[in-house]
Amino acid sequence: MITSQGLRKRYGDKVAVDDLSFEVRPGVVTGFLGPNGAGKSTTMRLMLDLDHGRGETRFDGKRFRDIRDPMREIGAVLEAKAFHPTRKARNHLRMLAAANRIPTPRVDEVLDLVGLAEVKKKKPKGFSMGMAQRLGLAQAMLGDPKTLILDEPANGLDPHGIHWLRDVLKSLAGQGRTVFVSSHLLAEMALMADELVVIGRGRMIDYGSVDSFVRKFTQATVLVRTPSADTFAETLRREGADVESQPDGALMVAGAETSAIGELAHRDDVVLHELAPQSASLEQAFMSATGESEEFVAHDVAEVLSPSTTSPAATPDVRTGDDAPGGAA
Amino acid sequence: MTDALRFEWVRIRTLRSTYWLIGLAIVLSAAVALIIAIATRDDADALGAVTVGNILTGGGSFAIPFVPIFVAIIGVFSIGHEYRHGTIQPTLMAIPQRSRLLIAKILVVAATAVLAVALSIAVNYLIGLLFWGEAPSLTEDPLNQALPGYVVYTVLYAVLGFALALLFRSLPAALVILLVFPLIVEGLITGLSNIPALDWLVPVVKFLPFTAGGLLLAMEEPDFGPEAPDYDFLSRWTSGGIFALFAAIILAVGWWLFQKRDA
Repeated sequence: MITSQGLRKRYGDKVAVDDLSFEVRPGVVTGFLGPNGAGKSTTMRLMLDLDHGRGETRFDGKRFRDIRDPMREIGAVLEAKAFHPTRKARNHLRMLAAANRIPTPRVDEVLDLVGLAEVKKKKPKGFSMGMAQRLGLAQAMLGDPKTLILDEPANGLDPHGIHWLRDVLKSLAGQGRTVFVSSHLLAEMALMADELVVIGRGRMIDYGSVDSFVRKFTQATVLVRTPSADTFAETLRREGADVESQPDGALMVAGAETSAIGELAHRDDVVLHELAPQSASLEQAFMSATGESEEFVAHDVAEVLSPSTTSPAATPDVRTGDDAPGGAA
Repeated sequence: MTDALRFEWVRIRTLRSTYWLIGLAIVLSAAVALIIAIATRDDADALGAVTVGNILTGGGSFAIPFVPIFVAIIGVFSIGHEYRHGTIQPTLMAIPQRSRLLIAKILVVAATAVLAVALSIAVNYLIGLLFWGEAPSLTEDPLNQALPGYVVYTVLYAVLGFALALLFRSLPAALVILLVFPLIVEGLITGLSNIPALDWLVPVVKFLPFTAGGLLLAMEEPDFGPEAPDYDFLSRWTSGGIFALFAAIILAVGWWLFQKRDA
């Protein structure tokens, strides 16, 4: 169990992490989600006393600096290639093991576990990103810790690697460990996480189960196919639903339950060819939740180019009003 | 503390550069010793303190010997590598007590320095024996002072390299200061003090840290030629103290910043 209270970090005037409080429970994989630059790494660094800031994090009630042999309690990897390029993979782990009284046989055990047994006597200089991530995971597992904190562990893994990582993390969580994994990619989180901590611009956006996040940030929509689309769309709009006609003649209805739509159709004797609830994706939820909090917002290319290239004289300060990107509260 | 020491001990032993830096230092020092031994083998005072001292220290009376320089690079690597390769993060995950980590690093670097310089003296002694015919006396002044001075000088150089890398968190910056300062800056100040209009620099020279440190292994009073002003150098151990103080100040600032900064 990880308990973070009031984490806060500023660089000069810029607040990187703004009063984050959350708990990470054992037994499930908790995803730490946010767009690039949202403050995920800084938060993890604050949790582990690498960065100085405000707030407090406790691991099963203990502060990080008070833990004796910390690798036996917490396995953390914050950077993918944090090893000396010519120190052999096995020696790298042997060195860290020595700092926390971890017996050397455990080094070979974790190298086996992550599938690096064959290259353990090799210099990690030539390791691919995927191999580096595996070595990182081996490092985290070295002390057989109850808590794992991994920053973007899936970065650079191929689809096989991501599935393998998912299985490993799920089974570690299944053994009752606390697993906290960050990512800026939804597809990864959708695969791996049971619970989510979602931040944007250093602030908490949502915190809870993946399902509730999706429900909260997306509207359920229903696909309706009917020969009398136009009249039925009118009926639905009168009932207060949002209706959007698709190019193929189908209707996308938001704000009405599937059952209500079916009853309306029955009442008006409308023939339905299809009535299907659309499951909202984590992706849609993420976009709507963090859309306003991107750190660096890329302006629409056409929008940026048109005023200056087509009519340089016309209203040169047209964009100054919305220079502050995103404008999140 | 013993865990941090064990960590550092594995760290320094699993780095190839440790071996080739020590190896190179011993070989180059031995080469200097061999040249001096061959050149002086028929001299009347082949067993004189200055000649014997220069053979044992690899030219300590007229240049910065190889061993302190190479050992200082090991000191630079001790913390510089951590920043260059990002290993400071896993290191602090294993040893979060930052002062404990620094103490362990300094102790292991210092022990490595003692080991390297002792090995080098032993190798150079054997080379000398090939030409001396009889064993020289090492228990009389100045050798009984200059040889321990050489060991202290080497250890201070290694700690200084470590301190500079801790301060700058950068290998190149630490290496540049370590080499440029004694060879260029101090040489320049000493040279300028020869110009009569700049003679106010003369009393400064004895406090220049690397120049003062050099007196630790001096076999005789430093001689800058007949034209040179009298620098009025302090004693061997007082001068060594100036060098040690210089290293200590850099180490203290680096230490304070290491505690304060984000890792």
